[in-house]
Amino acid sequence: MKFLTSDGIKEIEASRESSIFKFNEKSVDIQQDIWLEMNGKRHKVVATKVGDCWWLHVQGYILRYEVVEEGVSNSHDNSGLTAPMPGKILDVNFSAGDAVKKGDVLLVMEAMKMEHKIIAVTDGIVESVNYNVGDQVTQGAELLVIVQN
Amino acid sequence: MLKRTLVANRGEIACRILRACKEARIEGVAIYAENDTGTLFTEIADLAIPLNGEGLSETYLNQEQIIGIAIDNGCDSIHPGFGFLSERADFAQAVIDAGLIWIGPSPEAISTMGDKMTARITMKDAGVPVIPGEEVDGGIDDVLKLAPQVGYPLLLKATSGGGGKGMRAVHRQEDLEHEAKAAMREAMNAFGDDRIYIERLLTGSRHIEIQILADKFGRTIHLGERECSVQRRHQKVFEESPSVAVDSELREAMGVAACDAARAVDYVGAGTVEFLVTPTGEFYFLEMNTRIQVEHPVTEMVTGVDLVREQLRIAAGEPMSCGALSMRGHAIEVRLYAEDPTNNFLPAIGPLSRFIPPTGPGVRLDTGVREGDNVTPDYDPMLAKLIVWAPSRTEALQRMCRALDEFVILGCVTNLRFLRDLCEHPDVVDGWTTTDMIEKLWPDGWSDSVSQDILDAGLLVSFACESTNYGKKQMSASSVDEHVSIFELINGRYP
Repeated sequence: MKFLTSDGIKEIEASRESSIFKFNEKSVDIQQDIWLEMNGKRHKVVATKVGDCWWLHVQGYILRYEVVEEGVSNSHDNSGLTAPMPGKILDVNFSAGDAVKKGDVLLVMEAMKMEHKIIAVTDGIVESVNYNVGDQVTQGAELLVIVQN
Repeated sequence: MLKRTLVANRGEIACRILRACKEARIEGVAIYAENDTGTLFTEIADLAIPLNGEGLSETYLNQEQIIGIAIDNGCDSIHPGFGFLSERADFAQAVIDAGLIWIGPSPEAISTMGDKMTARITMKDAGVPVIPGEEVDGGIDDVLKLAPQVGYPLLLKATSGGGGKGMRAVHRQEDLEHEAKAAMREAMNAFGDDRIYIERLLTGSRHIEIQILADKFGRTIHLGERECSVQRRHQKVFEESPSVAVDSELREAMGVAACDAARAVDYVGAGTVEFLVTPTGEFYFLEMNTRIQVEHPVTEMVTGVDLVREQLRIAAGEPMSCGALSMRGHAIEVRLYAEDPTNNFLPAIGPLSRFIPPTGPGVRLDTGVREGDNVTPDYDPMLAKLIVWAPSRTEALQRMCRALDEFVILGCVTNLRFLRDLCEHPDVVDGWTTTDMIEKLWPDGWSDSVSQDILDAGLLVSFACESTNYGKKQMSASSVDEHVSIFELINGRYP
């Protein structure tokens, strides 16, 4: 089974005996409550699934593990060029054909009454700008496309 | 004595005020926009009236509608909370003109302090020290002209601002025009007023504020300080009382200055005078907040005074109830935001699928949400304020760490782990808190350091959860349609 974590995609196969799962000298007893045993200590874990993602509370830490379906590539856009929140476009600093450098402020948008800068994560050429100043955008909208040169 | 109070606010602070009303045997009336239907504060209220319209200006900022609801429902008073209409002199005046009691200072006091330039001038005249800077009277041209006289680094602030909006730090001349325009734009959007002014940015300073109370019998007292230096994007995230930087001598000097500031505008009610304190112990007036403040609980914890209850008492024309005050122990508040601390504290949204707050001695949670609620982009992303009290600062930090570890919030990204990290950072432990510390400590952004052991454990738990379809089975087992014997269930769950 594969999970997408903050640390990349991780694969795991654990052994199971009734309600008890074991892996790497750790065991989990999962019934109505979840108990984790590691390093000789028991910890209660709280877990819930939101969409495809398991959210866990383990020893004070909050962790997320997204289920990766076999054969389906999770298209996680790491370019950061999508709208992080629904909001309004305030400023567009580049147009199609412009060269951008890593760190350039490409676009400024307003969400939740605060201004947010959309910053280039790589050098490249702007292929298209999909919105104009004043446009309302939804969360996840692709704001512009940059091709690496 | 007040009989029925309308609370012109929502969320956490509406809950706080409605609870105080309940304790004072005053009926509390909530108003709510459609997207707040069924939220906690509407349940706590004795009466909850829906607001017509969409968006802030038609709902929580709609003065006419709010006053109309108060009158139609037999209210005798309005409490504005913080934010929204709390510092709008015209609203205070309209409430008074409608024959209702305004739970706050006079409209004159609000407008004097609300206009940051007028406030500066009034404070200068009252002998309260102000930060070196320039009052700008025009548009962008005046800003560009006056900025070099103030010198860099400088801070651009919205004249009718607050809450960090419309505020920009400028370190170099070449950034000035761009930042000034951004500040003016933000100020226009947030306050409908794009005037800004310029102040010297005093780096390495602490943000320390004094809580005051004044009644209609001529008594003005201070309730000690709150240290609010730890900020991100000029918004506070960690507040405490007392401040490690304030000894009894400085406390007294700042307390006297704060009371002078209040008296200069004939202040009545609860208010806060904010100061910037330099590393050498000089203090300068920043602004006065003419309302109850987000971080008021830390003062309540160390002084034992119920500030909201005192507001109700003072507004009703009674003398304040507190006598000689002393500060006892140490209190800390952290603000829990739905935001991503690993991504420049960008606001986050999502369902609060699990929300299990900490309990135990010395722990207080002021919140407007509970499990099952949805965090939407409609309002401020602050979810809750977690406050602890303990006999000493060290014990208060330990208690806060324990409480944050206990706190389960799943389904929506929050700054919980960031706050936990902050509470153990040596600079915070040693009390070296300054307004620029977050940028300095995490210049490339913050990330959670989780041990490999915990990450592996999480992976195993996720595997177990996914394999057993955890959570879903419970639902079907408890569903009445399945006709499962209760004894079978018990046996299955507790072998």
